Amino acid sequence: MLEPLIQNNVVCHAVEAMVFASITCSILGVIISRMNLSSIGFTMSHAAFAGASIGMFLETSTQIAAIAFSMGVAALIGPVSDKAKMAADATLGVLFALSMAVAIFLISYMQYLGRGLSAGSLLFGDVVSLYREEIYALAAISLLSVLFVLFFYKEICAIMFNMKIALASGMRVKVVYYILLFIIALSVALCLNIVGGLLIFVWLVTPASIASQFCNNIKSLFIAAPLVSLLVSAFGVWAGFEYTLPIAPLVALLLTGTFGLAVLMSSKRKVTTRMH
Amino acid sequence: MSIIELEGIYTAYEGDDKPIIKDLTLHIDRSEYVVIGGPNSAGKTTLLESINGLVKITHGRATVCGFDVGKSGHEVRKKVGYVVQNFYFDPFTPFTTEQVVIMGRYGRLGLLKRPSEADYEAASKAIRLVGIEDLAQKTIGTLSGGQQQKVMIAHNLAKEPEVLLLDEPFSNLDFSAREFLQGILQDLVKRGTPIVMVSHAFDGLPDIRIHLVVMNEGRITKDLVCPAESVEEIIRETSFSKRNSESAAKRRSHGIRSGFIAPGSARSR
Ligand SMILES: Nc1ncnc2c1ncn2[C@@H]1O[C@H](COP(=O)(O)OP(=O)(O)O)[C@@H](O)[C@H]1O
Ligand SMILES: [Mg+2]
Repeated sequence: MLEPLIQNNVVCHAVEAMVFASITCSILGVIISRMNLSSIGFTMSHAAFAGASIGMFLETSTQIAAIAFSMGVAALIGPVSDKAKMAADATLGVLFALSMAVAIFLISYMQYLGRGLSAGSLLFGDVVSLYREEIYALAAISLLSVLFVLFFYKEICAIMFNMKIALASGMRVKVVYYILLFIIALSVALCLNIVGGLLIFVWLVTPASIASQFCNNIKSLFIAAPLVSLLVSAFGVWAGFEYTLPIAPLVALLLTGTFGLAVLMSSKRKVTTRMH
Repeated sequence: MSIIELEGIYTAYEGDDKPIIKDLTLHIDRSEYVVIGGPNSAGKTTLLESINGLVKITHGRATVCGFDVGKSGHEVRKKVGYVVQNFYFDPFTPFTTEQVVIMGRYGRLGLLKRPSEADYEAASKAIRLVGIEDLAQKTIGTLSGGQQQKVMIAHNLAKEPEVLLLDEPFSNLDFSAREFLQGILQDLVKRGTPIVMVSHAFDGLPDIRIHLVVMNEGRITKDLVCPAESVEEIIRETSFSKRNSESAAKRRSHGIRSGFIAPGSARSR
């Protein structure tokens, strides 16, 4: 899609993939961090990671296996998590540990079998050897996330504000909540190839946290988070190719660095406004 | 037909087998001002949430605004306003007062529909009525507890409900604010929207006849109509004599004192 702009095909695909992944994850991240769904996102991403490693071990599609596993967590966690009692926490912890154990076990075993190279990409992502179809899938999921927020904007705002008050108002928020969980699961599974199972969480929470340092308005959060994420990610891909650095970890570091900077700048801003 | 009809209901929280509300019967008519009193953990909040279907009714029959609460909870909640008791909005909540008040309209709109001009008009009317115009553009997490209570009341007024449930809505408000909001509630009652309020603060109750319900341990121990100035005394008396004599409490839960009108019997005023 960006071919006219970027000469090198590999770089071009990498930028596209990173841009779509960052838009998807940061938009969902705004909702996730507001609703304290971080532990659910965390568990889903690691379940996807475990699924992908099983898929790779069995030499079937890693992507489909990843989707199946993160969707499985969504289906399992959804009914528990919307109850006020967060007994779900223990369930999430167990699922997270199980996912990590399965993934690490299989990856180590594959390394022993001499298939370690491809297994490493599961951990840290691989933006260099993407198929065109994978980029289309990423484009589709980022479009889906944007449309989801646009169509259900009213319901999403209400549940981000307060689940109980939203329920008491007579809105059908549970439907929207379940759609949300499944979109998160799908996105996490699809972005796994790009950023890796260990780092995907950075894309989910960090951009929203950066944006919330400067925005106290819901609309600006939904615009600023993907914008920041997109710019930092695109820059990271460029820098990674330019200086031959591992791209996903580099972008993760850049995002975290931006967050630190944002915290410094916003606290400075608060100090100056207080002085006036 | 009463707007709220509860017939021998039992309610239990998910995962618990022991019911919180036990065999409770209550009828509330249009244009009644209902005060629910009773000690802590008597089940007052649970009763309100049984009325709008947030807590599951396990036995008995509950009809609110003509809908069966168990089967059509959404329809009931679209028509019933509910000011919740415990809320906490952190300072970074990214919603302004105005946005929170317009959310009161969302239930009536249904999925995918955007608020119209009329919805915005209802919201700004509610903001003006409660007198929080100056807070409209402030984010709700930065307001004081009392201001937040006013915002939640405006949120529910914007809804234009057929019944308004309030759970200790004045706990953070000073006397003059209480009196002012009581005036708004009294107007609602006059125009045919019944009020059902859980409260411990009875100063500033409007000078009309009050349908008083006293609860204890998930049951109604008193259900009568009395003048506003007697409310506090009756509640105090109920909890005091409760400590003294169990049998007296039992007698009171069946019989209704002379001078007060029995619930369910034709009440005229
Ligand atoms: N979410 C809940 N899950 C289980 N039990 C609850 C829940 N909320 C309240 N209860 C129990 O129900 C009883 C009545 O509580 P509540 O209706 O809040 O009392 P009140 O509002 O009169 O103070 C209490 O014993 C309380 O422990
Ligand atoms: Mg209560």
